[in-house]
Amino acid sequence: MLDQRLNDARKPTEEQPGLRNVMNRVDAEITVQVEGLRREFDSKEGKVVALDGVNLQVRKGEIFGVLGPNGAGKTTMIRILSTLLLPTAGKAGVMGFDVEHEPEKIRAVINMASGAERAGYDFISARGNLWFFSQLYGIPTEEAHRRINELSDMLGLQNYLDRKFYALSTGYKQRVTLVRAFINDPKVVFLDEPTIGLDVMTALSIREYILKQAKEHGRTILLATHNMAEVDAICNRVAIIDKGKILACDTPAALKRSLGAPSLVLEVSPIPAPGSLEPIGKLEGVKGYTSSVDEERGLSRIQVVVDGDGSAQSVVDSVRKSGMTVVSNWRQQATLEEVFVALVGRGFREREHEAAQ
Amino acid sequence: MKLHSNPWLRTAYARLWVRAKSIYGEPLWVAVNIGFPFFTSFSLTMVYRAYGLNSFTGFAILGGVMISFWGNVLWSMASQFNWDKQVGLFEIYITSPAPISAILVGMSLGGILGTAPSAAMVAILGWVIFHPPINAVWPAVISVFALTLASLYAMGMALSSLYLAYGREADSVNEALHEPVSLISGVYFPSTGGFSPFPLAVQAGASLIPLTLGMDALRRTLFFGQVFGELYLDLELFSLAIMGVVLLFASSKALKYLENKGRRTGTISVRQR
Repeated sequence: MLDQRLNDARKPTEEQPGLRNVMNRVDAEITVQVEGLRREFDSKEGKVVALDGVNLQVRKGEIFGVLGPNGAGKTTMIRILSTLLLPTAGKAGVMGFDVEHEPEKIRAVINMASGAERAGYDFISARGNLWFFSQLYGIPTEEAHRRINELSDMLGLQNYLDRKFYALSTGYKQRVTLVRAFINDPKVVFLDEPTIGLDVMTALSIREYILKQAKEHGRTILLATHNMAEVDAICNRVAIIDKGKILACDTPAALKRSLGAPSLVLEVSPIPAPGSLEPIGKLEGVKGYTSSVDEERGLSRIQVVVDGDGSAQSVVDSVRKSGMTVVSNWRQQATLEEVFVALVGRGFREREHEAAQ
Repeated sequence: MKLHSNPWLRTAYARLWVRAKSIYGEPLWVAVNIGFPFFTSFSLTMVYRAYGLNSFTGFAILGGVMISFWGNVLWSMASQFNWDKQVGLFEIYITSPAPISAILVGMSLGGILGTAPSAAMVAILGWVIFHPPINAVWPAVISVFALTLASLYAMGMALSSLYLAYGREADSVNEALHEPVSLISGVYFPSTGGFSPFPLAVQAGASLIPLTLGMDALRRTLFFGQVFGELYLDLELFSLAIMGVVLLFASSKALKYLENKGRRTGTISVRQR
């Protein structure tokens, strides 16, 4: 099932209608359209391919997640769609406008925010900053203040609006950023890791706010994240991306269902040496695995995506054969990370580690 | 269309407001803005007095006033977009429909409004303490002052594109430019004409900086009672006006070019990918 989707995602672009045709047709439901999108960057080591033939369509009112490890190409895609970058090849459009030739038209109907950003003028209050950003969209002052109050209320920012920007905590600066992202009543909003580095409660309130924006105002939200819980909680559909390619695209529930058997989790001791887990990946019926270290308990946790009980037993045997003790093992319902593991063979952590090298 | 509903004007006004308010956000900055130019003016006034050149003490005080604006152009105009880029504000500008020219004009007017009170304070303190002799035709002085500021801030706009292209070394470039430009543009003494200590080539080069011609024109109108119609003054004003227009045009073109280049190369944001 998943393999089928993988194949579908990798179909050559010639089989699909051109962006111009798709974007020109009267299809109000499609707000973001990407076809054969490729982006290369020059680096000291030569050309780096950040996006490699990406295709996707996002519908009106949808919260669409783009999930992948750091360096997968999520931010590059958001930058192209928000007109900060040009594609090297392929096409991308927002609300029927082409990112390459009609950036001004796109800018009038979108907004964007990044979790890494803390953009604001330090010696101006949060309210002053938000009013300033509203003026970039020509919003009358009275209406701007109405929106600032309404959006701030939803995010619990009201009591902090008159504080200078520099005096706000990271969480409240992020709330200001998220109010800014919706201040112009945008039709499409691009959010890049909006809850990164925030505490659980703040992240929850931000997710609730994003959900409301999509549900009550019919906004399309494209959310780039490597947080699987976030995607599970709020996204209608998700595209899993790795090394600039979309590997699968569906609802989170369907993606998890597609794995079939629950995954196997093993806690082993001692912490395995680098490379000593590699035989697991070669066992029959194993689609992939990922591992993490629990320093405090002196254990390593290995999550293995298997296709049935027989494969699970051979994994346990293999671990024991390699001299490790299986402290505990259990089966758990698949998460999106396991979907990624099944597609790539490795987890987010391993991928990020590989990319760093 | 009502003026207040014009998006260009809204953007320019908002940027003006942010700039003017930010300048007074930190009391220490206000003290520095008044203190530094005044102390330098004070020292140079004492030097002029020590040499019996009482009639020239106004040069030093005028220099203190104008150096406030030069400092603002360099530190808050030229390097602003570069700093905006570092904190993510520049990409907010680019992804909004706001015209970049409105942001530049708002930033300039806000800078002028924000700097004017501290510059006025330097002028008042200087005039109260030293009573320099003045021989001014005020409408001419005010016109020359306005033209000088317009040209100087147009240079700030053009420099903002250069700094954006140059990258992260804005602070070092500011340090490198501040004193040399103050010296050759003759902030505290005439650097062009018969009294200049510099060779002709340096004078010619310095004349390409609006501050040089503006300072000289201000000295002529403020201390020597010159008015429009005097050949040299008219030439200076004409050159200032031309420089202002060219720099405005150049900054607008350069920023558009940099935006397009940035979209190709991924340099609009600090993080490339």
